[in-house]
Amino acid sequence: MSHGQSEPRGLIFDIQRFCLHDGPGIRTTVFFKGCALACAWCQNPESISPKPQIAWYAERCTGCLTCAGACPKGAILTPPGQRVDFSLCDGCGACAAVCPREALVSVGRRVTASQLLDELMKDVDFYRSSGGGVTLSGGEPLLQAGFLADFLPQAREAGLHLALETSGACRARDLTTLAPMFDLLYFDMKFMDPAGHRKWTGRDNRGILAAFTRLARSHPGLVARMPVVPGIQDTDENLERTANFLKKCGKQEIHLLPYHPLGEAKIPRLAPGLAPLELDGDPAQSLEKVRKALESLGLSPLVYEPL
Amino acid sequence: MNERVQRLKRAVQEAVPGLCPERALIWTRYHKDKQNRKKPRPIQMAEALSLVLAEKTIRIWPDELIVGNYTRRRVGGGIFPELHGLVQMSDLFSFPSRKENPLALSRADMARLAAIAPFWATRFLGARVHKSPRKNLAFLARQLSGTEFVINETGGISHIAPDYEKLLTLGALGIGEDAAQRRKAVRPGSDEAVFYEAVETAMAGLAAFGHRYADLARKMAVAEPDPARARELAAIAETCEQVPARPARNFAEALQSVFFAQIAVNIESLDNSVCPGRVDQYLFPYLKRDLDAGTLGPDQARELVFAWSVKFAEIVPVFPALITRIHGGLFNGQVVCVGGTDGNGADAVNELSMMLLNAMDELRMRQPNYTARVHAGSPPEYLDKIHAILAAGANSPALYNDGAIVPVLVKNGYSPEHARDYTPVGCVEPVSQGRSFSSTDAALMNVPLCLELALNRGRRFGSRLRIGARTPDPGAMLSMKDVKRAFTDQLGFGLEKLLDDLAAVERANARLHPTPLTSALLAGCLESGTDSTAGGAQYNFSGIQCVAPSSVGDSLCAIERAVFRDQRLSLPELAAQCAANFPDEDLRAYLLSLPKFGNDDPEADAWTDWVMEAFSDLLEGRKNTRGGKYTMGVYSVTVHEFWGRVTGADPSGRRQGEPLAAGLAPGNGMDRCGPTALLNSVNRLDVSRATNGLNFNVKFDAATLRGRTGPLALSALLSTYFSRGGMQAQVNVLDPKVLKEARDNPAAHPHLLVRVSGYSAYFNDLTPALKDELIRRTSLCAGRGGA
Ligand code: SF4
Ligand code: SF4
Repeated sequence: MSHGQSEPRGLIFDIQRFCLHDGPGIRTTVFFKGCALACAWCQNPESISPKPQIAWYAERCTGCLTCAGACPKGAILTPPGQRVDFSLCDGCGACAAVCPREALVSVGRRVTASQLLDELMKDVDFYRSSGGGVTLSGGEPLLQAGFLADFLPQAREAGLHLALETSGACRARDLTTLAPMFDLLYFDMKFMDPAGHRKWTGRDNRGILAAFTRLARSHPGLVARMPVVPGIQDTDENLERTANFLKKCGKQEIHLLPYHPLGEAKIPRLAPGLAPLELDGDPAQSLEKVRKALESLGLSPLVYEPL
Repeated sequence: MNERVQRLKRAVQEAVPGLCPERALIWTRYHKDKQNRKKPRPIQMAEALSLVLAEKTIRIWPDELIVGNYTRRRVGGGIFPELHGLVQMSDLFSFPSRKENPLALSRADMARLAAIAPFWATRFLGARVHKSPRKNLAFLARQLSGTEFVINETGGISHIAPDYEKLLTLGALGIGEDAAQRRKAVRPGSDEAVFYEAVETAMAGLAAFGHRYADLARKMAVAEPDPARARELAAIAETCEQVPARPARNFAEALQSVFFAQIAVNIESLDNSVCPGRVDQYLFPYLKRDLDAGTLGPDQARELVFAWSVKFAEIVPVFPALITRIHGGLFNGQVVCVGGTDGNGADAVNELSMMLLNAMDELRMRQPNYTARVHAGSPPEYLDKIHAILAAGANSPALYNDGAIVPVLVKNGYSPEHARDYTPVGCVEPVSQGRSFSSTDAALMNVPLCLELALNRGRRFGSRLRIGARTPDPGAMLSMKDVKRAFTDQLGFGLEKLLDDLAAVERANARLHPTPLTSALLAGCLESGTDSTAGGAQYNFSGIQCVAPSSVGDSLCAIERAVFRDQRLSLPELAAQCAANFPDEDLRAYLLSLPKFGNDDPEADAWTDWVMEAFSDLLEGRKNTRGGKYTMGVYSVTVHEFWGRVTGADPSGRRQGEPLAAGLAPGNGMDRCGPTALLNSVNRLDVSRATNGLNFNVKFDAATLRGRTGPLALSALLSTYFSRGGMQAQVNVLDPKVLKEARDNPAAHPHLLVRVSGYSAYFNDLTPALKDELIRRTSLCAGRGGA
């Protein structure tokens, strides 16, 4: 493409085909990199940093140190049991390109709207036959508003059903202008109490709740979702406040996402950031408790298939 | 499933499978008898069959409504000494004690069977394939090693969907009468006259077989203390008095007649894939008439269908370890096919189709092998039912797409009407019901071995003996064109050897093992006065299986990348690495990272397509000795696992010992992008070359297809795949947890059903290696995730 240079590019870290639980039908889910929050229970810790990163899989590494020769920053460590000095590494990926065992893996690649669309269109037949489409997830896709402004009109043009999974933690203006491009907005209710929200996610939630209130009036495809982590969201107080808030917004439906510790396995491979969550209770029991409580508070909770 | 059916099912599932010596012993006594030695072969076959049917132990088990015992045991199999019996008996003394599929056998029976072996040692079919003893020994050595190819036909042909409709209309005696009339019109003593006489004898034997059950049922009725059961026995007596001798007058008689014929054809031809086929089509008129007249209630009809279905699981094949490596599991491929269209292309789903699907779903037994045809006009309730059954983890029915198969059959030479009347037989091979004698499972070709030979001047890795074509040294191959030519030269050379052996085996079957009963149930044979083994049927094909095309496709793709594009190493270096089973682990990791079939990558997919094209081109224009074409099938039953052990490492990164690709599936564990990508890859292939059908397994972990979303997703996947020209699909839903439990503790899940290349078999019936393979694959499938 001749104007390739000026085209905005998005930073994504994964594209998963045949997703059945990110909206209706068979979907392809695109994971955007970068998030304004850092939830303690994050299942994609590699999504938080807005820059490309390197991940090291110790179990695949043979210690051959081919990577050391490729690194322009001198960030490769030689002692066994460690490989990358994350304070020096800038995520350029040169080491991953030469590693013979895929022990170093680049997390995050830049794509243009048309490159991404080509990838997504591969499963268009399956979207059509299943009533499915594409879901943007992350990370927080709305932090890449410039790229989305380029990508979303093309995706709509191609007839794709579009869903967004958002934390709401982005610039209000971006949410207002981009939300109408989506058929469905899955909006996370992470924690009701502002102080608790800051404790668990690193940020206050007042702007987030205001955004939800506005969207509830303007967007028919808005759906509330709640991650259910034992000992966090499942307190009586939080559930009551969630129910009151949603009812005030005229929303009854809420989707419950069961907690699974998939993210914790990824933490040691990445630059230090999140600490593994010390779980307080059984996810399945907690889920059931939340479902019952919200139901008795007048909501219609829908439980996603447990993994 | 009512209580009676539950009891019947339990009795069959809990019965210890065993080996019944009766067929072998009676067969031997007949052939040893000096009086019989001079008779023409067809007469001997018909008389021996009739003798077995007249003398074998017969039983009516408690609760049965449909009767007929294949062996004297509740669940059992027999020995075919004139075919592959000696190979069957290679495990004679270990059948009861072996780990996989043990078969009960008493010491006395062991001794009796051992005593007949010397008589057959010079008389079994494999011993008489080639006239010259030296040539024949070489042939037998090839067969026993089974590395380059395997000719299944040496063990008999079978693989038929007989014209049971004709049996129901005319009765065995009516067909015998037809043969007698025709005999009057030909010269006495001619081949035709002999054939007709053999048909008369065989049909009389079949008729008498039914009458033995009529007598037994009458006697049992008199002695039966329970009046209700006594009435049932009396009804059974009446049914067996009528069929299979005479035309069926109602639904119960029709089911009964089919099952008696099923036993007889299995005993005559070989117990390998004798298929009732399109039961919902030819039995529906009987059902409808009874339902309309009110002589049969819907519940009774259902009970009959279930009771009939259970009977098929009583028949098991007797496979020694030598054969199990090619055909794993206790299956014998008795296919029942539902749905599809009539001769004009209109949808043909009826109440019986649905009833059979229910029977399959609720019974979940290893036989019969249920399959379902789908087409653009298949009714939604039929498709929904199938998708729900599959999503729930039944692993059956296998699905066949008329839209892809009918045109292929027409291209093969079937009339459109006959093409639309197809049913799969064996694993996956479509044939026209009642008209086709296609030795669909004639032979399997080890295609990856041809690549090994191409990389080593026609010799196995590490061997000096040239067994293949004289192709150039890899160092002299300067482009992919040279590599492709060396591979096709080796493949052509191997196929030539295969076809040469096969033609001799075909002639031996015609000479030594004509099948008059079977022939009379195949259109064309009576008309031409010629046995089906000699080409009497209306349609004649022989199927040669292209095993593991994607293993070779991925290897060629890797050669192009590694040697010619990336120039990472030279072809001789790569060949040396393969020969040494990849001492360089880094190189192997690199090779594994190259594009592979099944990941929606056009480059890799094109190579697999090319391999299938090369194979089918080499078969083009070749004719078998029955005057029919050779057709290419893409399935591997379980031989991909055995051949994976004996075939050298290949450039795709597969080590020797790891399985080859199964059927049309990607190489073992090579598909990493999920089912949509996999289906895109498969849809990219020109499957119209698979004129003998193909086997394509899609696997899901149980979690994926659970809940509300599962069946909907499955239905979308399959409808997309089929609307884009997909030919066949089998859906495996496997929970690795369950499979591991079943492996470690066979008693915990004794009846766990899994799909093995076209068949249903119980998990416990599989070899340890196959169990591990299945567990590994499902675990991969379940472990999808991000970083
Ligand atoms: S190149 Fe890869 S395998 Fe070798 S030391 Fe570096 S990370 Fe480990
Ligand atoms: S990503 Fe770049 S900077 Fe970081 S370790 Fe690898 S080569 Fe060095």
